[in-house]
Amino acid sequence: MERRGVGAQTREMTPLPPLAGVAWLMLMVATGAVVVMHRNRFRALVLIGIIGLMISSGFVYLSAPDLALTQISVETVTIMLLLLALHYLPKTTPRESSAGLRLRDGAIALASGVGVAALSYAFMLRDGSTISDYHLANSYKGGGGTNVVNVILVDFRGYDTYGEIIVLGIAGLIIYALMETLLKGPAGQRLRNTDYSRDRSRDRHPLMMVVATRVMMPIAVMVGVYIFLRGHNQPGGGFVAGLVISIALLMQYMASGFAWTQARKKIEYHAMIGWGVVIAGLTGAGAWLAGVPFLTSAFGYVHIPPIEEFELATAAIFDLGVFLTVLGAVMLMLYSLSRIARYSGESVNVDPMDYDPADRVTDTEKGGA
Amino acid sequence: MELLVATAIGALTAGGVYLILRLRAFPVIIGLALLSYAVNVFIFSSGRLAINLPPILAKYGDASYTDPLPQALVLTAIVISFGMTAVLVMVALGSYLETGTDEVDIHPAGHDASNEDAAQ
Repeated sequence: MERRGVGAQTREMTPLPPLAGVAWLMLMVATGAVVVMHRNRFRALVLIGIIGLMISSGFVYLSAPDLALTQISVETVTIMLLLLALHYLPKTTPRESSAGLRLRDGAIALASGVGVAALSYAFMLRDGSTISDYHLANSYKGGGGTNVVNVILVDFRGYDTYGEIIVLGIAGLIIYALMETLLKGPAGQRLRNTDYSRDRSRDRHPLMMVVATRVMMPIAVMVGVYIFLRGHNQPGGGFVAGLVISIALLMQYMASGFAWTQARKKIEYHAMIGWGVVIAGLTGAGAWLAGVPFLTSAFGYVHIPPIEEFELATAAIFDLGVFLTVLGAVMLMLYSLSRIARYSGESVNVDPMDYDPADRVTDTEKGGA
Repeated sequence: MELLVATAIGALTAGGVYLILRLRAFPVIIGLALLSYAVNVFIFSSGRLAINLPPILAKYGDASYTDPLPQALVLTAIVISFGMTAVLVMVALGSYLETGTDEVDIHPAGHDASNEDAAQ
């Protein structure tokens, strides 16, 4: 049998602007620093944020606007989630492994890193056969959208996306179930008896932050709706919109506290996950009524005189299901972690902020003070 | 540019693998986050790198585009890896609250590892 090695290089290197070099340097330094300083857990989280930011700017530069939007919003939510969890975990990692063990782990890590780098470098400089030409050619004719990535998600690979939102919903429910069980067991008692008050800020709900997040809320929701609506033709879509709106809601939780925000919430997050999956499933099943396979999408163009011609697609309803599931799952995950906070004796605030200038000081209070 | 992306993937993988081999839950979670960055960029780079060729169809004229398929796969992978991280964080938190230690290895009965962490 003829042996075949790595073929000859068929692609030219893409040019390298200095700014990309700076971003690469920051990413490399941050990665190295995470490994060196991982014992200080807060510092490691900050550095993880830098890495995520550099990766999303890399996506912008390398023609992947959808990925950049998703990466940056997921990054925000992930860091918040890890910070919440770190409130209960030890803040530092003790030095336990011997030098020999660390050397061995370092050697394993280095070998895998060099291997993966060499592999990706080898295939990036060579052409391969791809099935993407089909997607590019049929995206507008068959799927009715010009953003090919979104059309792949909601149309060509709709089944895949449908499975994925179910997985995300299940992850949200697992976290909720785990939290409920934890709080009922010995861990709940331990939490009740641990004193976390010394690392609690005196100014937990600052006036500035409350007012700023309140003003930003409608703007952020509008951005979310805009990103959702343009998703089929421009970068955006259900995944990103769900994340943007959940960040808008999380800002309220951060500014005014868990209980205050929770009291003003009308829809249960479990229901949101359920509705999302049902809407996406029913949209897919609707295709049967037209005699076409599950999740085949239909679209048409509508023209109402004063407005310009716009498109209506069933893929948008499917995307609504994706949006609801992502929003419900993300919020349920952070809700579960915050509930632990409340269980561990965090005080519940009635007012939205600690000091509210709108409250008049009454005479009796003056006399009392 | 290719060299930079390849070395970045390599560094993220190496960092991730090293941290996953640590003994405590939190470095393992951070390591998995690094490794999922590496895997996402790796899959993305399998579509080859292209600058200023986003896969948004232009209405007029024949433009060329980058490969959209890896991007669609990575988009869901980013969201799923968030879900995975969240579940892991919850499991780690649960085991810490139940046992009083966030060590990854299960110790034989009688070994008291909770002293150092209980002081935190």
